[in-house]
Amino acid sequence: MLKKDLIAKNPLRILTQDAKGNPIAQRMGLVIARAGLGKTAILVQIALDSILRDNKIIHVSIGQSLDKTRVWYDDIFKDIATASQLENAAAVEEEIMRHRMIMTFNVSSFNRPKLEERLNDLVQQDVYRPDCLIIDGFDFATATREGLADLRELMEVMGMNIWFSAVSHREDDRVSAIGVPAPCHDVDDLFDTIMQIQPDTEHGHNKLNILKDSTGCVAPGTTLNLDPVSLIIQG
Amino acid sequence: MKKDLNRVRNIGISAHIDSGKTTLTERILFYTQRIHAIHEVRGKDGVGAKMDSMELEKERGITIQSAATYCTWKDHNINIIDTPGHVDFTIEVERALRVLDGAVLILCSVGGVQSQSITVNRQMDRYKVPRIAFINKCDRTGANPERVTGQLREKLKLNAVMLQVPIGLEGDMKGVVDLVTMKALYFEGDNGETIREAEIPAAIAAECETRREELLDAASMFSDELMEAVLEGTPTPEMIREAVRKGTISLELTPVFIGSAYKNKGVQPMLDAVNYYLPTPTEVENTALDLSKDEEQFAVSNNPDDPLIALAFKLEEGRYGQLTYIRVYQGTMRKGDTIVNSRDGRKVKIGRLVRMHSDEMEDIDEAPAGDIVALFGIDCASGDTFTSPDISVSMSSMHVPAPVISLSIKPVDNKAQVNMSKALNRFTKEDPTFRTYVDAETNETIVCGMGELHLEVYIERMKREYKAEMEVGAPQVSYRETITQRADFNYTHKKQTGGSGQFGRVAGYMEPLEEGNYEFVDNIVGGTIPREYIPSCDKGFQKALEKGALAGAQINGVRCVINDGASHAVDSSDIAFQLAAIGGFKEGYMKAKPVIMEPIMKVAVEGPTEFQGGIMGSINQRRGMIIGTSEEGTYTVVEAEVPLSEMFGYSTVLRSLTQGKAEFTMEFATYRPVPKGVAEEIIKKAKAEKDKK
Repeated sequence: MLKKDLIAKNPLRILTQDAKGNPIAQRMGLVIARAGLGKTAILVQIALDSILRDNKIIHVSIGQSLDKTRVWYDDIFKDIATASQLENAAAVEEEIMRHRMIMTFNVSSFNRPKLEERLNDLVQQDVYRPDCLIIDGFDFATATREGLADLRELMEVMGMNIWFSAVSHREDDRVSAIGVPAPCHDVDDLFDTIMQIQPDTEHGHNKLNILKDSTGCVAPGTTLNLDPVSLIIQG
Repeated sequence: MKKDLNRVRNIGISAHIDSGKTTLTERILFYTQRIHAIHEVRGKDGVGAKMDSMELEKERGITIQSAATYCTWKDHNINIIDTPGHVDFTIEVERALRVLDGAVLILCSVGGVQSQSITVNRQMDRYKVPRIAFINKCDRTGANPERVTGQLREKLKLNAVMLQVPIGLEGDMKGVVDLVTMKALYFEGDNGETIREAEIPAAIAAECETRREELLDAASMFSDELMEAVLEGTPTPEMIREAVRKGTISLELTPVFIGSAYKNKGVQPMLDAVNYYLPTPTEVENTALDLSKDEEQFAVSNNPDDPLIALAFKLEEGRYGQLTYIRVYQGTMRKGDTIVNSRDGRKVKIGRLVRMHSDEMEDIDEAPAGDIVALFGIDCASGDTFTSPDISVSMSSMHVPAPVISLSIKPVDNKAQVNMSKALNRFTKEDPTFRTYVDAETNETIVCGMGELHLEVYIERMKREYKAEMEVGAPQVSYRETITQRADFNYTHKKQTGGSGQFGRVAGYMEPLEEGNYEFVDNIVGGTIPREYIPSCDKGFQKALEKGALAGAQINGVRCVINDGASHAVDSSDIAFQLAAIGGFKEGYMKAKPVIMEPIMKVAVEGPTEFQGGIMGSINQRRGMIIGTSEEGTYTVVEAEVPLSEMFGYSTVLRSLTQGKAEFTMEFATYRPVPKGVAEEIIKKAKAEKDKK
């Protein structure tokens, strides 16, 4: 398979264009799930899809090491390249490395000013200008609505997409009106797109349910399947 | 008198550059009364630290060669190898770890786990070396041993447990609390030589209780006896030490100690810890290969009465000839004994056996299993095994990385030529990562190594120690060539110039090889190439691989398959088929779309966060690929992959870019194809040089 076919056939395609076929330049997205269901894997696939479409991404990893994050990319790309028999995979992989930057933060020190300072360092000196930010490991349980609104404002100022991951807990049954579980139930209005990973015990794999999408790309209620082993989105 | 091996410790001291390894070793030698005054690494007295015996080391303030030393601490004999921190000298670190039973991993209390600490830790894992950690420089502003302990867990995945709590930090550091005995220790006297035990200061009593709980939790995993005693509230210091020792030796626990070697604090408890927690030579399993049983692996006995097995792990040219550092694994090495070098079967008589103390030595008569000593006047290479004449054994080989950088050297006169040869002969024996050869085309002597500094140091040593004046060329990157697609060849070598002629036809194809450098496949059926000439084809291909057609670089990653050919009853010969294979290779090579590959280095730059943008910009300018940035307090570490050819002179650039506040380390990562534009430049340059010749 060629790179352009890989892009065209990606099940995530339903999320990247609005009803008129225009790409979404700004969006705050959320992938929420209980621990261990594959949030990082989904975020990495969103990032890889964005990179393949010639965008630059920064993967902000909170509380995780750089190497560990890198391994996620290596493994998922390898799975995708093998499954799709991608031609010239080594060159594509190099392109991915050039369009991806990983930034790690300590859990306690992550906030908008710090992130903005480090981003500005890159943008103002024309070192790297991201089109998409992946924020993995953000602590929604302790975050305030203001803090999140602040990050949304950063997204608007810098004109990019931001995708978050959030951990929900089985014992916390609070949900928002549209079905977004705690701890994001009372901030769901700040996101344009929200997806939830849920185990499908009947079919033995996990599902990616789209709970909300105000960008006009996809109807809420749409479901994508995940490969039970590789966690790759199958459509 | 036989030595009690339970009271022997062979330890290494390794860490990130500038973490204070040599300073710590200096204090150890002082407290163990091997030296009677402390000299600092860059001290004003101009003497330099004891372990930095090379002039160059004293000048630069870094340790280049690891020197071995020996000391006695509380009835225990400790052999210490001080190892260099710079990544270019990694082979020294690796060699030291190969012969050591335990190690002290030193970390800076401000810098924490730095890039080189990760490399060193990986090496320790490779050789399964039990280790204790010493968080040094606790007197410095920004010292935070707790954070560093956290990093040991997160970054190095060590089960790190603090065995001490500092009494004050930075300028207020007064001493440490020993969590095993629950006593405060203060280091008094001019050089901290007097240890005063006292009650734990009330201000930190609660913290000490919490830390002790953590210690007991971690240690009791290794001892049921301790677990029961903890439940009953009666754990004794001996029980705790025994459990920590078990955990440390099984590599499942890393006890953490703190101090400031420079301020003479915490060094003696660290020495106690070496005795308490690091293994004796008999507690570590070392294996050797039995050459009489097809290199079957077996565990050495450690028994001083068994036949001798010893490994030469380091060579040094001293004033009185070659000095060979030896680790005895089995048996006893005695003065006057005849031993055999298992590599070449040569017998040698031990004339002089010495125990080294940096550049001084003391003569001894024997060295039992577990000891590290030095031999005089034995001609051998680093990594050779010596045994008793009645056995044929070799210690397993060491991991030696391939060199990535080279430069040409040209002696200015005949005298310099002789001296240079002597120096090269010695250095290549001493250091397997330093290699030399004469370029057949230019007749120039080329030296290869692991980095700019690595070569720079050897050239400097040739000039100073051997008075070999020479012209030094610019460093050259060791490029490689490889093919990217399959290509067929069908070549006939025919020569008829009177007398018997030469004839050979070789046909087949070449294709990229995923793993490995070269593979030869013989698919000849029906004897179109006679059996006896198949090895000639293989030899021819291997010759052809030596110099690629693009830049004259070595060719890697090629599978050559032969499936047809022809021979002549009279004119075919070994040389004819070698030449036919070379011709066939050349024919197929350009069709196989060859590319030039360059060494890519994994670079880690650490500096204050405000310089992050500048650092990244400097990497981008060097065709670097930024992997990411990590936050380390007020510091940021930028990790990237950068072509080696772009890294020459980077330290100067980085220094001016960051007001000298950032530092970088690099190590070889992989070979990758160079971009088209750069490849054209390299080809042009190679062609120009060829024309010049």
